[in-house]
Amino acid sequence: MKHYFRELSVLGALLAILLGLAIFAPAFYQPQPLLSLLTREAPTLVVACGMALVIVCRQIDISVGSIFSVCSVCAGLLAARGWPLLLVLPASVALGAVFGAFNGVLVAGLRLPSIVVTLATMVTLRQGLNLVRQGEFVNLPEGIQWFGLGQTAGQLVLVIAAVVILILLALAMRHFAAGRFAYAVGTDAEAARLAGIRPQLVTFLVFVSIGALTGLAAMMNLAQSPQVQPLTGNGLELKVIAAVVVGGVAISGGRGNLWGAFAGLLLLACISPALTHLRIEAYWEKAIQGTIILLAVVADGLRSRKGGN
Amino acid sequence: MKNTLLRLCAAGIVLLGSLVPATAADSKLIVAMLPKSKGNAYFISVKAGADKAAKELGIQLLFDGPTDSNAAKQNEIVENWITLGVDVIAVAAENKEGISTALRKAQKQGIKVVTFDADAIADARSFFVNQATPSGIGYSLMDEAARLTGGEGEFAMIVATLTAANQREWQKHIEDRLKEKYPKMKLVAVRPCDDLKDKAQSETTALLSANPNLKLVMAICSPGVPGAAEAVKQAGKTGKVKVIGLGLPNENKRYVREGVTDSVILWNTGDLGYLTIHAAVAVAKNELKKGAKTFKAGTLGPFAIEGDNILLGKPFIFNKSNIEQFDF
Amino acid sequence: MSATPPAPAPGLGSWKSRLLSHEMLLFYVLIALWLFFYFAGTTVNRRGVTVGFGTLDRQFDILRHSCEIGLLALALTPIIITAGIDLSVGSLLGLCAILFGQLWHDGGLPIPVAAGLTLVIGALAGGLNAVLITALRIPPLIVTLGTYSLFRGLAEALTRGSITYTDFPASFLYLGQERWLGLPTQAWIFFAVAIVVGVLVHRTTFGRAFRTIGFSPEGARYAGIPVARRLALAYVLAGLIAAIAAIIYTARLGQAKADAGTGYELFAITAVVLGGTSIFGGKGSVIGTLLGVAAIAVLKNGLACLPVVMRMNAAEEMSGLLTGALLLFALSAGVVPQLWSGFRQRASAT
Repeated sequence: MKHYFRELSVLGALLAILLGLAIFAPAFYQPQPLLSLLTREAPTLVVACGMALVIVCRQIDISVGSIFSVCSVCAGLLAARGWPLLLVLPASVALGAVFGAFNGVLVAGLRLPSIVVTLATMVTLRQGLNLVRQGEFVNLPEGIQWFGLGQTAGQLVLVIAAVVILILLALAMRHFAAGRFAYAVGTDAEAARLAGIRPQLVTFLVFVSIGALTGLAAMMNLAQSPQVQPLTGNGLELKVIAAVVVGGVAISGGRGNLWGAFAGLLLLACISPALTHLRIEAYWEKAIQGTIILLAVVADGLRSRKGGN
Repeated sequence: MKNTLLRLCAAGIVLLGSLVPATAADSKLIVAMLPKSKGNAYFISVKAGADKAAKELGIQLLFDGPTDSNAAKQNEIVENWITLGVDVIAVAAENKEGISTALRKAQKQGIKVVTFDADAIADARSFFVNQATPSGIGYSLMDEAARLTGGEGEFAMIVATLTAANQREWQKHIEDRLKEKYPKMKLVAVRPCDDLKDKAQSETTALLSANPNLKLVMAICSPGVPGAAEAVKQAGKTGKVKVIGLGLPNENKRYVREGVTDSVILWNTGDLGYLTIHAAVAVAKNELKKGAKTFKAGTLGPFAIEGDNILLGKPFIFNKSNIEQFDF
Repeated sequence: MSATPPAPAPGLGSWKSRLLSHEMLLFYVLIALWLFFYFAGTTVNRRGVTVGFGTLDRQFDILRHSCEIGLLALALTPIIITAGIDLSVGSLLGLCAILFGQLWHDGGLPIPVAAGLTLVIGALAGGLNAVLITALRIPPLIVTLGTYSLFRGLAEALTRGSITYTDFPASFLYLGQERWLGLPTQAWIFFAVAIVVGVLVHRTTFGRAFRTIGFSPEGARYAGIPVARRLALAYVLAGLIAAIAAIIYTARLGQAKADAGTGYELFAITAVVLGGTSIFGGKGSVIGTLLGVAAIAVLKNGLACLPVVMRMNAAEEMSGLLTGALLLFALSAGVVPQLWSGFRQRASAT
């Protein structure tokens, strides 16, 4: 219980919002709009899983938004050229993995600080995409949206896929040796090395994973509408990092889990629709969002202070 | 090590230098055009018209603008152009007061200034190429909304950001018109989408479930219209909740065809670019002076001039019956 | 945040010389860039007037445009040396700008009083960050991520997004748009702040405390350094400098609006890191930061003067691309030779 205080405080904040909505705006709880809301957040959840992995490993990746945009546009262009979905999907994942590997080589191979490396890749990819596409939408052919399944089925597939990825990764991080390596490297890379783990390899693979997951997420977003806007991933990195750290994954590495990240993401994702339902004017949105982030972490900070740290 | 790096740098410079053709004084008139943002389909289509005019007139066209939401960037670009000694600057102002500071400085250096799309303060430019007055846009949108809903019921708006000057101005005129002519209609919410289609979709989804009586969604930024339309379609409310907005035909054709989006309002953006460049060149050559009543721009025109506003004409309403004829 | 564990602390002399070499390298790059743009970006126009990068006006513009981001970079330097980060400086610039506008316009206060109060508000906002970081021991990244939204949100809420304060008196605009003693007025403020921060970081015990905290906060505590108070100082100072930047920004544009300074935090962090300050803390210099700011500014402005870039209409994108590349280059330039010598040692050992 004490160990999971942060996760619980975030969960508490989430439940408070949901309860408030139940009392003041019961219209929030309608199956179809809720499913749509969840579907919209499914790609973000997949990226957040990758980000949790990276942060547990004591790294950070702020290039995910740009990778997301580039993968979306490339996948869209391939689909528009008539590539079948079964090829576009792996292509997008592979492209994401390649960008992830590039970050990984610089971070793990050259031991450069990840925040700076990914800052550079973020800027470079974003401006490169601007240069090439000039913001033009990509129109997708029929049959890509919802993977050709129809809307409700497609939405369910996307949400279930995201949750399955979350569960698999969460279990893997807890029970598989490979997953625990990430914690080991994040806690103390030198100790991990002495224990026979190759920290640089783990770091590299973690970056490849977040790249691949971002490529997958791009496809999951692509499948939700018939057009791709090249700006699509703008601001994704901040949203995802906020969700993960609010959810109790320690920025200093080695601590936290995917369930916390999940709760953090749901909390942040709830705020905007909650404000719409409660009819609070949009001018307050950012201020309220900032306050909720701070409150969620202040609770944890107060506790650890009391603990006589 | 230091030496190697030094040598590397030197090699790099030589390499870069060789990429630059030694241009002597370019004898062409230089027109610099500043959009609000570069990666935006709206301004891309403006540029297409501007390029056409530049070719006809044999001038050099510079086209640069911010690629991010950095409000001071436009000023820096204008100041850069001042020291580059361009002949005319054509600006779509993001920050009305802010940009005027830089434009006055340009005028002081003998550079002519015209504005298009969104005006600066009047003394900071000679002419404004007015695609449609803010009140014209606001009234058209509101009238169209009233026509589609029968003049009563709830509606909501999607805007780009809460701070964008032109969005605020249009919103104001929409609200004025609402108060004045349609007392039975009610604006229930205004939500920003940060110029992101995906965010517009999420926001509209929440709006639809929070306001079961919503009869219409009005998006006044171009990525917002397809985003709102997709949300209405996914909510299964096609036809029950109307979608209208300011946007480009190509981004909205699909939804107009399916009957999700009822009408999209816009002027001919290509003509706007074309007219702007012609007006800019005419101002630079002193062919267009204050007090003129009409202006003929190349193969287009004549356009009426009202005070110091060159009027492009009324905004155009694209709907099922005509949208297929347009490609921009 | 951090990745690799801090290298076993090398002797003071050796890292000092390495620091120097990073700055010198950056200095060479800056000079090279400048010379390149001077020759490639200067032309004579139709009227026979020299235009482009080589003109004095252009150089002053570069200085003028760098002041706000430069100030924020100066604010971030001590913070990053302590292994912290402050993402909220750009948002705080926006909040301070509109509060300044409100105090002057709605509050009817004279400009100097309004400016003084704005500085106090900036310091208080920095104090909020400081309290959350030091008293509650919440990582700076999370705290400032929260205040990044909060400060911008307050700016938007207070103005409902739309109110723009303008029509400032000419005497105030002088600060942002004119020259004083030959240089853009605000540059003098920028230099003054640079000297203050430089002295603080390099010539006082505070600076040594920052570095010690950056190397190891635990070690600093055992060495008797009041860690919380020194950290608080860095964040309060950052708030204060952000407020100064807000006033200069308002004077340069002649308007105060809630979107002021959007995205500036990224430019500022880029400049600091480019200047050789380690994101893991413990080392860094104000000179490096100034060189970093200058390199980015010269690159951005120079590219916009190159005929080939002008013909491509791609100045904005190219400057983003090349800033990213420069950052990677600067980072790997320090590391690759190390790795290479390590590799050679290992090879000769076998």
